[in-house]
Amino acid sequence: MRAAAYLLLAWLCAANAFAQAPAPPDLPAAVTDEAISVTSDYRGSRMTVFGVNPDRRGRGDIVVVVRGPNLPATIRRKRRVFGLWVNGEPVRFAEAPSFFTVISARPLREIARPQAISSLGLDPAAVARLESATPPDASAADYRRALSRLRRAAGLYSEIPDGLQLRGRGLFSTQVTIPANAPIGAYFADVYLFRDGRLVSSQRSTVTIARIGAERLVHMAATRTPFLYGLFVVIVALGAGWGAALALRRS
Amino acid sequence: MSIYLPIAEMPVNWLLIFVLSGGVGFLSGLTGVGGGFILTPLLIFIGIPAPVAVATQASQIAATSASGLWAQARRNSVDWRMGLLLTCGGVIGGAFGVTLFQQAMRLGQIDIVISLFYVVFLGAIGAMMLMESASALRRDKGAPVRMPLNRPARTIAHRLPLQLRFPRSGLYISIIPPLVLGAAVGALAAIMGVGGAFLLIPAMIYLLRMPTSIVVGTSMFQILCVMALVTMLQAMLTQRVDLVLSAILITGGVLGAQFGARLGARLPAEQVRILLAALILLSAIKLFWDLVRPPDELYVLS
Repeated sequence: MRAAAYLLLAWLCAANAFAQAPAPPDLPAAVTDEAISVTSDYRGSRMTVFGVNPDRRGRGDIVVVVRGPNLPATIRRKRRVFGLWVNGEPVRFAEAPSFFTVISARPLREIARPQAISSLGLDPAAVARLESATPPDASAADYRRALSRLRRAAGLYSEIPDGLQLRGRGLFSTQVTIPANAPIGAYFADVYLFRDGRLVSSQRSTVTIARIGAERLVHMAATRTPFLYGLFVVIVALGAGWGAALALRRS
Repeated sequence: MSIYLPIAEMPVNWLLIFVLSGGVGFLSGLTGVGGGFILTPLLIFIGIPAPVAVATQASQIAATSASGLWAQARRNSVDWRMGLLLTCGGVIGGAFGVTLFQQAMRLGQIDIVISLFYVVFLGAIGAMMLMESASALRRDKGAPVRMPLNRPARTIAHRLPLQLRFPRSGLYISIIPPLVLGAAVGALAAIMGVGGAFLLIPAMIYLLRMPTSIVVGTSMFQILCVMALVTMLQAMLTQRVDLVLSAILITGGVLGAQFGARLGARLPAEQVRILLAALILLSAIKLFWDLVRPPDELYVLS
């Protein structure tokens, strides 16, 4: 996989160097792992996003963004009831990126203008679509900040301003780690080229994280045929208990 | 060492869980105190989501009860009629408990509900065990005193209507107290992921006045049936039963309990009981502290 990636890199690089016609404003980029399997030894995944800056003089900045599926999220603020801290009223986001990482060679604010950051959705907390009203004693911004903070703490949101490796002749690559607690689904790896704070070109690749084999079987059984799944768990449990009693009595 | 749990959707160290469930099984085999209410909080402490810990624990208790019931049935120390009646109550209580569980999950309060139940019950059980063991140790130093079984000759169970004969227990009592008792234990089982023997056994002895020789086997029968039902209901209503976690817990628990029962004769059981009581009290204090301490992070995400 890695060897293939570097071959492709070398080819991209050569193609760029020998290009005769004025380069079209496209951005050659790809990811090493387009299909990630969740098996019983799954501990998260790593992939490399790589490509070439099409500008011959190497002007502009590359920004790599990997986004997880947009999912609903609920945030509650704890409040004190009879001396106990219990969860307060829920504030729901209809959609929020479940995973978000933005990688560049220098801080994003120096690369892109605020309008570009907001129009391209480079700030996950700003992208999240608030669905319900916030309690009178807190603002929507508090909940957005909390979403961002909690997801950062869980390793799901990150901003890495020095994570992009520039390898000369416009070549760039970066490693993206998706932790095991990130949800399963379709991910997008976007590569953007900015010049003077504005977007010049972009390229999107899809990465699918999916359960396979036994993980897929168990999950499907538990969600689609819960009655049979429950029955199976009970039969296995009773069989194991009874079997152990039998086996250990003889020994 | 790492295995991905398909329902909890997280990787865990299976060896750690195996050792924990084996250790708790060992302790329960040694001391006769059930494993659920020690193992479930331990699972929560190591990061398993509380709903998954509680729902999956039900299947492990069903397995250990099946293992124990087999030996009890061979010794004819099960009152099947009483067990069936307790199970009828347990079915109602268990269904109610799972519904409550599902409701609390929808309201986002399930973790707090589970914690609160644990604080109350672990605190009470730990304190009771500690006092009992301390007084037992004091007695050991002096002349051996026979434990008097102080129980009233007639209880409320003998006065209520709908009386039924229980030949194996030698009783003629109302069916209402066993039904209510079974329901209470079933509800606790669903909400806390415990078997409920700590409540069931004393009540069978003192309230129903069953002979002590058959309470353990009879309670195992009720717990087996109720936990099998709770596992089914949790799988269908909350979908938080993790097959992989269940398999690790069952293997550890059943093996540990067998070793515990065999070593039981050779170890100073009373000291182990004190240790266990201290452990239970500490867990209660930790859970309580987490509920009253001002949290570092005011917001929670789900």
